[in-house]
Amino acid sequence: MTDGILIAGAGLAAQRGAETLRRSGFDGPIRVVGAEPHRPYDRPPLSKAVLADPGAEERLSFRPGAWYDDADVELVLGVEAIGLDYRARRLQLSDGGAAAYDQLLVATGSRPRTLPLLDGFANVTTLRTLEDARELRGVLAARGRLAIVGAGFIGQEVASAARKAGVRATVVEAAPAPLHSVLGASVGGWFADLHRAEEVEMILDARLAAIEGDDAVEALVLADGRTVPCDHVVVGVGVQPNVEWLGLGAAGAGGMEADANGRTRLAGVWAAGDCAATFDPAVGRHVPGAHWESAGRQAVAAARGMLGLDVRSAPVASFWSDLYDTRIQYLGDAGTADAVRIDGEPRRRDFRATYTRGGRPVGVLLVGRPHELPDARALLAA
Amino acid sequence: MAYRAHIDPIACAAHGDCEDIAPEIFRVGDVAEVIGTGPDELMLEAARVCPSVAIRITDEATGEQVFP
Repeated sequence: MTDGILIAGAGLAAQRGAETLRRSGFDGPIRVVGAEPHRPYDRPPLSKAVLADPGAEERLSFRPGAWYDDADVELVLGVEAIGLDYRARRLQLSDGGAAAYDQLLVATGSRPRTLPLLDGFANVTTLRTLEDARELRGVLAARGRLAIVGAGFIGQEVASAARKAGVRATVVEAAPAPLHSVLGASVGGWFADLHRAEEVEMILDARLAAIEGDDAVEALVLADGRTVPCDHVVVGVGVQPNVEWLGLGAAGAGGMEADANGRTRLAGVWAAGDCAATFDPAVGRHVPGAHWESAGRQAVAAARGMLGLDVRSAPVASFWSDLYDTRIQYLGDAGTADAVRIDGEPRRRDFRATYTRGGRPVGVLLVGRPHELPDARALLAA
Repeated sequence: MAYRAHIDPIACAAHGDCEDIAPEIFRVGDVAEVIGTGPDELMLEAARVCPSVAIRITDEATGEQVFP
């Protein structure tokens, strides 16, 4: 066994996996193969600080270049994994080469969904990579009118960054409220009001019907006939896992299925992060990866599993966002709730929404109350 | 140097923000650890930005919890 451990992907899960392997005493070869030309870097700031400040790019890399030399982790950048021969334990690479492994961590992440109607226009971007963020920062600096399709967290963070930059922004969302399916009508409505108070135009229950413009989008045309004139469009309508390269059958639509420790059905193959659908014993099914915290923890679990080490139990994962300098934190699974209780003062951007199902807490949203996170975590763990 | 930082290793998700803000106080591996000390304000700032709220700050003189 000398081919060592190969990590396909070079994001958070890859970095966390490599670090855990080394810290846990693995001294064989570790190779990280990543499609982007950059050392592994942190993505959450791309929709926050990096949109406002080029200087924030300096803090994106997880580790300085010298770390990889010191830790003897080989980075193969600008090269994509394009095929897996799991019987021969070999990965095909986009540069025509192949890479053999003893154990493989599939950590190829996800990519933004796009909308066919908006394909091919020059002024339409999604936000996933550093290049995307740089382009969008340029757009904000030029102060054009911004149309944001989708009121998920990415769309909302872009709206927040746009207002900070003095840019006019319109959010177009298909649901009756932002985050409606997860947080429900009343709390979703709070998010809509938040953006309106910051002079973002929110168009809800909206369906995109047509586009005005030839090479560039000049306006979005909605099904009810309204038009949204714009100089640039950001699409934030969710992500899909990068698993097609594994071949048909190796991965489900929600991602590469893995057990709670990251082990897949294929011998020697593990999966973590956004590309993985990890089994959650609490709900009894595979859950698509979506969150930063779970990606990191899944990679740590997989790395330890590869070495035959026990896996530490993890708390309920939390998710965070910053909108107009207010910290938003969410944990649990509010989408399954049948009731919600609000404590605090939503108008002052200071409240807690506790979601329950049959009286049992299943999710918590904290707005402007970061100090309550440990308490919320304990509430959901009980 | 009246304040002291404590990491909750279960809550810590190794975001690394504390090390960015105060590298002389925090080092982040699988989870963060306290490796030194520094100005109270810096310690508090690191605790406040932690997305997982995994840093607890106490006043060394009184033992009282200052954050969260």
